[in-house]
Amino acid sequence: MKRVSVDVGGTFTDCFVVYEDKQVEAKALTTHHNLAVGFMEAVEQAADVLGLPSVSALLSEVDSVRYATTLGTNALITRSGRAVALLITAGYESAVPLSRGKGYGVGMSPLYKADVASASRPEPLVPISLIRGVKERLDYKGEVLMKLDEDDLRRQIRDLVDRGAQAFVVALVNSVVNPEHEQRVEEVILEEYPSHMLGAIPVILSHLVAGRKGEYVRTTSAIIDAYLHDQMYFALNALEATLRDHGYKRSMLVVHNTGGMAEVNSTHALQTIHSGPVAGVNASEHLANEYELDNIVTTDMGGTSFDIGLVVKGGVKFYDFNPVMDRWMVNVPMIHLVTLGAGGGSIARFDRMYKTIEVGPASAGSDPGPACYDRGGMLPTVTDADLVLGYLDPDFYAGGKVKLNSRRAEFAVRDSLCGPTGLTEIEVAMNIKRRVDANMANAIAEELGTKGYDPKEFTLLAYGGSGPLHCCGIAQALKIDKILVPPFSSVFSALGAGNMHQMHVHESSVYMWIYNARIERLLTDYSTINGVIEELEALGKEDLMRQGFDEDAISYSLEMDMRYGSQLAETSVTSPVQRLNSLEDMMALINMFSEDYGKRYGSGSQSPEAGIRINTIRVLSSVELTTIPLERSLEGTKKKAVSPERTRQCYVPGRKGALDAGVFAVGDLSVGSVIKGPAVIESPRTTCLVEPGWTMTVGPQGSGWINRDEMGAHTPKQRSAASSAGSEMTTRSDT
Amino acid sequence: MSVTEERERKLIEDFVGGRKLFLGPDPEIMSNHDIAVPTERELRAKEVVSDPHLLNLIRSKLLAGTNEAFEMSSQTGACPGARWGDSITCIFTAEGDLAISADGGILIFSVLTQHAVKFIKKYWENDPTVGVREGDAFTHNDARYGNIHNTDQSMMMPIFHEGKLIAWVGCITHVGENGSIEPGGMPITAESPYDEGLRMPPIKIAEDYELKRDLVTFLQNSVRDPKLQVEDMKSKFYACMRLKQRLEDTLSEFGVDAIISVLRRTLEETKAEVQRRITEWPEGTTRSVAFSDGTLRENALLKINLEMTKKGEELILDFRGSSPQFANRSINTQAASLKGMLAQLFLGYIWPDLPRNQAMLAPIKIVLDDKSLLNASDDVPNAQSMMSFFFGYSAGQVNAAKFLYSAQHRYTMILAPWYNMIQCIIYGGITQHSEFVGNLCADLNGMGGGARDGLDGENSIALASCAMSDLGEQELSEEENPFIQIVSKKLMKDNQAFGKYRGGMGYQMMVASRESPFWGFMTCCVGSKFPTISGLFGGYACPAYPLAKVKNVNVFDVLRDDPDSFRWTTEEIMNEQPFKDAQYSTQHMGLAYEQAMDGEIYMVTQGSGGGYGDVLERDPAMVMKDLEDELVSDWTATNIYHVVYDRETFTIDVAATERARQSERESRKKRGVPFKEFVAKWVTDAPAADLPFYGSWDDPTVLFAGGFAGQPHVTMAANAIEPIMLPNPREVEIDRLKAEIESLKARMVK
Repeated sequence: MKRVSVDVGGTFTDCFVVYEDKQVEAKALTTHHNLAVGFMEAVEQAADVLGLPSVSALLSEVDSVRYATTLGTNALITRSGRAVALLITAGYESAVPLSRGKGYGVGMSPLYKADVASASRPEPLVPISLIRGVKERLDYKGEVLMKLDEDDLRRQIRDLVDRGAQAFVVALVNSVVNPEHEQRVEEVILEEYPSHMLGAIPVILSHLVAGRKGEYVRTTSAIIDAYLHDQMYFALNALEATLRDHGYKRSMLVVHNTGGMAEVNSTHALQTIHSGPVAGVNASEHLANEYELDNIVTTDMGGTSFDIGLVVKGGVKFYDFNPVMDRWMVNVPMIHLVTLGAGGGSIARFDRMYKTIEVGPASAGSDPGPACYDRGGMLPTVTDADLVLGYLDPDFYAGGKVKLNSRRAEFAVRDSLCGPTGLTEIEVAMNIKRRVDANMANAIAEELGTKGYDPKEFTLLAYGGSGPLHCCGIAQALKIDKILVPPFSSVFSALGAGNMHQMHVHESSVYMWIYNARIERLLTDYSTINGVIEELEALGKEDLMRQGFDEDAISYSLEMDMRYGSQLAETSVTSPVQRLNSLEDMMALINMFSEDYGKRYGSGSQSPEAGIRINTIRVLSSVELTTIPLERSLEGTKKKAVSPERTRQCYVPGRKGALDAGVFAVGDLSVGSVIKGPAVIESPRTTCLVEPGWTMTVGPQGSGWINRDEMGAHTPKQRSAASSAGSEMTTRSDT
Repeated sequence: MSVTEERERKLIEDFVGGRKLFLGPDPEIMSNHDIAVPTERELRAKEVVSDPHLLNLIRSKLLAGTNEAFEMSSQTGACPGARWGDSITCIFTAEGDLAISADGGILIFSVLTQHAVKFIKKYWENDPTVGVREGDAFTHNDARYGNIHNTDQSMMMPIFHEGKLIAWVGCITHVGENGSIEPGGMPITAESPYDEGLRMPPIKIAEDYELKRDLVTFLQNSVRDPKLQVEDMKSKFYACMRLKQRLEDTLSEFGVDAIISVLRRTLEETKAEVQRRITEWPEGTTRSVAFSDGTLRENALLKINLEMTKKGEELILDFRGSSPQFANRSINTQAASLKGMLAQLFLGYIWPDLPRNQAMLAPIKIVLDDKSLLNASDDVPNAQSMMSFFFGYSAGQVNAAKFLYSAQHRYTMILAPWYNMIQCIIYGGITQHSEFVGNLCADLNGMGGGARDGLDGENSIALASCAMSDLGEQELSEEENPFIQIVSKKLMKDNQAFGKYRGGMGYQMMVASRESPFWGFMTCCVGSKFPTISGLFGGYACPAYPLAKVKNVNVFDVLRDDPDSFRWTTEEIMNEQPFKDAQYSTQHMGLAYEQAMDGEIYMVTQGSGGGYGDVLERDPAMVMKDLEDELVSDWTATNIYHVVYDRETFTIDVAATERARQSERESRKKRGVPFKEFVAKWVTDAPAADLPFYGSWDDPTVLFAGGFAGQPHVTMAANAIEPIMLPNPREVEIDRLKAEIESLKARMVK
């Protein structure tokens, strides 16, 4: 196999290359003015490592170049998209500006959400002056209540163009059940501004972007798609052109946030948002298969954010059906991710009321960054605490590229927090670490809990710049016993991109009672439901055949979003059959739904007496591609304890006084090396802290297993003792 | 109590024992909003676990569990209230104090449920026929035992450790339909508590972790939507189960003392912090009045009087002099409900960073007249209590803003009052799926935000009592209910409280039913003639909002056959009256449930938050922005804001604008009169005889009541309020028509 996979992030462009039996990682700074520059620099580095004479020698031979990114989100944040105009059903002109009321707080911290007096909605992507009502109306079944007023429509279109519209979004109520009006609006726009003329304006129809009901979220989906379209189109085309100049002959493949990928010409701009983090979840899924792990919770802790993803036994995929992109609710399915505002840059502050230390949500970010960066930051952050506690080497942070100022970190901690808490610098730093670890653990527990899982059944996967440093603390709080620092962890999302399959997701809103409780009957209208499935399969087939795949290579997976009565909760059930033709087929779906619901919300919580509806039918059309083999884990590997050549004094919550932690350079370790905590393992890209009570075994390809010692500090008594180390505290059992 | 009376009470107690005739709402429980006296167990736990950093870790873990359960109840709840944010989950101490609430949802629900938990503790715990045991769950909905009104239902579950009660968890939701005299659970025609549907005191609904089928069936049998009743009970029950599990996980990790200590300390530390923050306010007294313009059935001015005094660590809210209660109107509120809303005021709009628990209100003294509108007795209906306590909340918002203006420290922005009426359509009838339903639209969550010091209010942003409430999706509603919002979300031009910073605007809605064999609508707001909220520091009040209707038309025939005649704003439809033979009318927003024929149009409007500061100081560029967005008219830009501009290009003539504004300032001076002259002209000793007026006129110790339907005003001491019964408006109308007929007859005879 020869394959190049790239993940373009806000700061770094990560590259992972498979070249026959060699697997190489590379990293370059992201070049925002022209992504191709950083992209090619990373690929060049990889070609160098492989000993190839040129980039062209690499690119001309690979089976594919795959691309994941987070940059779409950045365009939203910087409002650098084009002027989008909205044509929406008359009477709904304010639906988008009002953003369902709660839109002011979506994507923000709990405190921001609670403070309605100060609340402000984000700057709109479509200003009110570029919104027009279209006189028409369909009912929920798609029947026309009012036909389209074309004369009025033409006036509105011309007026919007006069006002500077550069793209149109057309979002008409109930268009997902009858798209005729939206299609006709597009025709009218093209009649007014034909595509062969210089003044041609792109048109995005909402029903083609999102197939489910919900006029606000579908409209927002289409707006974001239109808003990002140009930026993504030009960036991806420039990349493709550069690749072609360097000998690459095929189409570049773009990772989608649905967990699949496709060629550029089969990709909506909206599908690229968050595709980098989603690729990370995909890499975890691949790892779970290769390492035969049942359940993984992925944690990617960087400077400003902490991403959580799930991979569970049986290949169940978790989607967000109404995900948030930046500060906007949309309704396109996306692999489930939770992002917290917690990272190395999170600022610690004194909580006067509880007389304790709170961490975040405010962040020093990268500018000015933590106090120890010496760039003007004065407030103590998680990274400052990590430095004070001795986990970080001030001369070897980011491989020595960033020199850390220990005195500045100590001053920030002392100045802000020692006085009010009455604690020493070390005690304060320990409480900061304990607090941020607990915040992240609580988020994971909440996340797993709402899906019916017990954290103890999971392996914690830790990657990102700060992930391996805090993984033991997080796992400790969750009572998780196993941590895996994955192979190629510093380019983990790029690894995920390398393992994607070609996939397209198509879905349709339906109103079907699979069990009607009022008349106590099961759904027997098989032809209608199978008709919808066939239509969705045809769309997927068309997408994949357009990209050159044989019909025979395409496989389909059928999912139904089901719910009891009028609930909000929908559970996605993967149908065991592709067509539904009998009462038994219906009961099989109902039983799967009931089982999953009971797992999530508690056995007995099911409410079949309220009836069961199918709200959405979804077809995943895919072509399975070869995946990158990873070296199997530690089976058969001879393990040997290794001793450090040097030690450093570290302070760890739960232990009084300084501990001599062994310090290891990752390059000096070999597969099977066993390191007992406390220990610090340093690499140019991250630092891993093995806390006391944990032992790390080095695995292949830069991976590491960190297991809780059999008698590790996880009994209540020990935890209580551990908790008291940072300050005086006593507990006793309630007898 | 005299010695004889005391002896008699003792003898009777010994004789009767626990066999009281009726365990009604307990005044001792209902009147107390302080946190309970710490128990020995709590004191011991506090001593054992005292490290603030550890306690904070435990607290955050419990809060995460509460949030998880809240998310679960939102997902699994079937009623619109649960789905769009009108619910909450929470943890109480063993004594029933609310210690931790979810970050999202309606805080007032959990604050009020403390009373129900305390009732269970006091009366059921040791009652051999009831008891409180592991695996039990209790429910209630009767506002007199601690609730807003009977449409909200609770689930309360005791938590035991080694056989001892250590805490309670709860989940409360606005369910909607409850079998009341009108569908939807919030009847405006209720003339007694017996018209208000289900009236559950706290009752045991589950044993051994199972809902009791017989009781669930009884409740289903008592409401119009049995499916909703069972679905939502399950949702709340399993949300409590999840929260119980999380609490027990935390307990197993940190020990029982840690749990008891953290719950108690959270309350005590919140109370102490509130006391400290009160000291940051300047000393003094602020005053305001608010007026409701009706009872939902007739027009009348009902006064809410508030004097707020800050002295040291003490803050006193004195509502004496407010309107008396009405014996046969549903707008009365229990004192506890008012206090719950005041907790929301302080936690939502003054100190949003504080933890959400009941101790926030503990240091604040609230003074009320017995049997007044804000402190109603148990024998009067209260299904529409919001119509009263929202005014208490809005008055409080004005008074607090005056203190905050010169406070040492602020924790959020000063703002003019939030809009305070639940402007939405309530519906009921048989759906296109042949089910009987009754509930309300999520549009109540679209109240306009008050203008801020430096910022306009946000348009239609949130229910006053619930951050992050949701307006929902109309496409999903139409699938389930047989009515169409033809106009769903369209901001109404000029619907803003003007000011230097304007209030957040509200949107208009037009609904019509379709394809139902039986369907009807109702609405329940006041403020159609007199604004329900005022402005701040010179800003305007909100507009007044009537209900507009077009009957004897099928708008769907119009849309199909003559679409050009349709108009897309309330203003155009009512002014142009474009549909032939249709009947156009407006009325106050208290519409009792009314059958709607296919295609008849009902139009309501969400309200604006209050304006802040003088309109003449508004940045002309902000006026032009609103003009360009068609949020204000040329008339408003010219005559309210006094901006001079080019109507084609919106270019501002800066010099001319300044001249126009200066001219208006001079005109104001000319229109003004010296204070003494004003007093001489306007101040009277009593309300005009034909003015329906309820409340104090000047002296807060004397209340006026009357002036409606020819009734004379009576006066009464505020501390001895007498019953007020209002005649049925229909009878009043019949009497009026009869009199008119008699008059016509008399004329014909002549």
